[in-house]
Amino acid sequence: MKEVKRSRCRMRMAIVIGLLFTIYCSLFTSCTPTPKDVVMQDQLPPIYPDYCDVTIPMNIAPLNFLLREDCEAVQVVIQGDGPSLSINARGKEVVFDMDDWKALMEQAAGQTLTVTVTALVNGQWSEYKSFGWQVVKEKIDPYLTYRLIEPDYEIFNHLQIQERCVENFDVSAIGHYEQLENRCMNCHTFANQSPELSMMYVRGQGGGAILNKNGQLSKLNIPGSVYFCFSPSGRYITYSTQKIIPAFHSEPSKRLEVYDASSNVYVADLQEHRIISSPLLSDSLKFETFPTFSPDGKYIYYCAADTVSLPSDIRNLQYRLVRIPFDEATATFGTEVDTLVQHVAVPQPLGFAASLREEHTKRSVCHPRISPDGRYILYTVADYGTFPIWHPEADLQMMNLETGAIDTLAIVNSNKSDTYHSWSSNSRWFVFASKRDDGLYGKPYFCYVDKDGKAHKPFCLPQEHPVFYDNCLKSFNAPELGKGKLPFDVNDVAKAMKQEAEAFK
Amino acid sequence: MRNVDYIKCGLASFLIVCWCFFQFCYPYHFFYQEQNQIFLWSRDYISTYFDKPGGVARLVGDFLTQFYYYLYAGATILTLSIVLMGILLYKTLRNFGIGKAVALILSLIAMTFVVICHFSISYRLSSTISIIGWMLVLWIVSLMRAWKMRLIQLAIALLPTYLLFGLPQVKRLQMPDFVLEKNFAVENEYHFCNYDKVIELVKESDGWNDQMLFFYNLVLAQRGELPDHLLDFTPNYLGTFEKIGPNTPMITIRNMNELYWALGDMTFTERAAMMTNVFAPDNRNVRMMQRLAECNLVSGDSLAAEKYLRILDKTFVYSKWAKRARAHAKELYCKKMEMVNRHDTITISDNAHFLMMQLLDANPDNRIALDYILCSTLLLKDIENFKRDYDRYCMETDKPKLKTLYQEALCIWLAGTDASQEEWQRYIHRQDVMQRFVEYNNQRGHPRFKGTYWYYFDKIKAPEI
Repeated sequence: MKEVKRSRCRMRMAIVIGLLFTIYCSLFTSCTPTPKDVVMQDQLPPIYPDYCDVTIPMNIAPLNFLLREDCEAVQVVIQGDGPSLSINARGKEVVFDMDDWKALMEQAAGQTLTVTVTALVNGQWSEYKSFGWQVVKEKIDPYLTYRLIEPDYEIFNHLQIQERCVENFDVSAIGHYEQLENRCMNCHTFANQSPELSMMYVRGQGGGAILNKNGQLSKLNIPGSVYFCFSPSGRYITYSTQKIIPAFHSEPSKRLEVYDASSNVYVADLQEHRIISSPLLSDSLKFETFPTFSPDGKYIYYCAADTVSLPSDIRNLQYRLVRIPFDEATATFGTEVDTLVQHVAVPQPLGFAASLREEHTKRSVCHPRISPDGRYILYTVADYGTFPIWHPEADLQMMNLETGAIDTLAIVNSNKSDTYHSWSSNSRWFVFASKRDDGLYGKPYFCYVDKDGKAHKPFCLPQEHPVFYDNCLKSFNAPELGKGKLPFDVNDVAKAMKQEAEAFK
Repeated sequence: MRNVDYIKCGLASFLIVCWCFFQFCYPYHFFYQEQNQIFLWSRDYISTYFDKPGGVARLVGDFLTQFYYYLYAGATILTLSIVLMGILLYKTLRNFGIGKAVALILSLIAMTFVVICHFSISYRLSSTISIIGWMLVLWIVSLMRAWKMRLIQLAIALLPTYLLFGLPQVKRLQMPDFVLEKNFAVENEYHFCNYDKVIELVKESDGWNDQMLFFYNLVLAQRGELPDHLLDFTPNYLGTFEKIGPNTPMITIRNMNELYWALGDMTFTERAAMMTNVFAPDNRNVRMMQRLAECNLVSGDSLAAEKYLRILDKTFVYSKWAKRARAHAKELYCKKMEMVNRHDTITISDNAHFLMMQLLDANPDNRIALDYILCSTLLLKDIENFKRDYDRYCMETDKPKLKTLYQEALCIWLAGTDASQEEWQRYIHRQDVMQRFVEYNNQRGHPRFKGTYWYYFDKIKAPEI
């Protein structure tokens, strides 16, 4: 009797497995429809992310995308001088095979590929206007670090700092809330885009700056440091200290405002553990912030503003782009501050060469970053203040340091916040955080700057699943490019956190 | 035959009792669980479940939890899960040669333990699915006859089972929390716009707490009856004295979201909704996702609204809601749109009084903000500021409010400042109030004046802030 029961049971199981197998086969292995009776459209396909007519490096991961249409199937044909790549897929997602993509990029380096998208919508195939992908030989630095945080930066929970290989979809955490007691952490920054020297902050009681030197981590107590940048030699960092105050706009679309109640700039000697200051950089009547070394180490560029009554007078808080000489050999500052960019309404003598002056109406400068070859300085301009993340008018601008010419980067900027940028080591690419999709969640965009200094249309960091950004409820904050994979992971950071912090005097 | 009936009866009784308890005594806990997560039918989202051990358990748990939204579904899913676990345990024990009665008793004990786990809001269905996963493996192991084979099979299965089902997360065991259930009842009935039910729940309750009073007042404010009932319960709680900070409980932040939404402050509605998400498990709360879409629709930020609507599109339960909100935003939120403050100012404070002043300065017809601002000062017995706000938003706009509460409070100010007859006539338009005030002054503090603001002012302790 028991045997009969068992054999019936096995029979049922076999039927169930057979049924499941049939369903699987019918769902996943049936033929994908191919275009027929195609209607031509005179418009670009509604793809997301917007990869139409972008310039991409040959080492980038596949530009997977989706169509913002209720389409049943999609065909994508990519043609260059060599063999073409074609994809037929059910649904609206286009996901490239990694090997096919890599082969295509190898062959297409230096060419412009033509991409044609044909979609089946409501039983009708439509071919959209083709667009191009200019594939350039100049590679982008392969690693990107960023912080993942909810866009409301006042309060945090479950933070991560991740490292992503932009040549594929590999992601690893260098800071993770689970291992770091759900602490606040921020600002992972490389020295000269090198993974051998970098630093990040882990905040809270017992926190500090975690310095990575060839994978050896140490914890530093650099009092009050927020924004920082390594000197070219790696011996110094220049950093700002600030008392950060969040404020709220009553007009809902403006949301959050953040300003500094006070801020100063210093240099820390990582070798002798001492702080170097200058009265020019810690003037109580001025706000000084966002310091960065020039690639030759001879200057510290930063932003400075005259103090105003805050928050009531915040719309008159305009930062200008300035620089001060610094001698790495003697660790001393120069005695004069030069102004590069400032608001037109503030009349004061400019120490910098007149040709390098650019005047703007009601603009405030933030986040200056100089290209590693020293040719360009890239910065953010907003109507006012020092926290452009919530300013939809915040745009990137690029000054040619040889000619003083300023490029307003019309092809790069959007009508939402475009800010927080960093350069690739070859000075041909930069990454920045843009809120162009929804005004809320920052995403990393990469922009190519050709040998003539012309910026090309940027593209969003590709993801394995094209719907990733739609589902993601975190902002990509402070993206930084690195030449190689960091030689440490979150467990090493957790161990370093247990060390005694090295004090600075 | 008798034994078989005994087992079936045991399981059936458990099933019925368990289902009835959760359906009739503990149903609002299901809404809390359902709304404090989100499940997206998206390959990208589902793949995130496998980032750490226990992916299958969490996936199945969250998938089923989303259906808690529907009436009877929560109790049914939970009961069936527990009974399935019990049956698997019973079968396993039987295969291991344990007698029927002992196996049944042990199974019932285990099932009861899981039921107790579910009394706590921190215990999630995925933990029960995790237990079911382990029971399933044990049952499969028990099918082998030789102990050696069983041990080998178990050793082989341990790691895969851990990776698939993880370990159940039991943070604490507790008795059913019926106070919390009542709080959830009030909050959820408010969410579903069953305002009469909210009033009924609070009025019929043996005791009340801040959470219940908060929603009771919110209903009354939207009906324009807040001043009529402010003194129904003392001490009362409006929520307007709360501030959001790193240590604010998530429930308070969520309440503040409801308050700001009712007041029409979209900046702070969005902020509180984002913060609720930040502190929800896995940083996702489906109700706040709806609210984020709503407040951006109201403030006219369609790109931001679309972000959340696209997420809701991928849910089984809220996709219709998202389509409707997208298609009919103007009709659904026209009143809220009129309340939006388009005059920009910057403040470093989330002081509700200041926010309400901003809203009223921008839109003096915002009756909810007006009642809240006046009632808040009255609860604190802050007659000076009440008079200041009343003048600013009622007298100067030539729209005096003749609610009894306000007239009574004005009497206190007028009497306290030795106001002239002219001023009395200017402010006090209700002769019945005037007459009663005279009577009160003759019997100051007499219990027959309970319910008047004068009695509250003299006899009841104001909330401390």
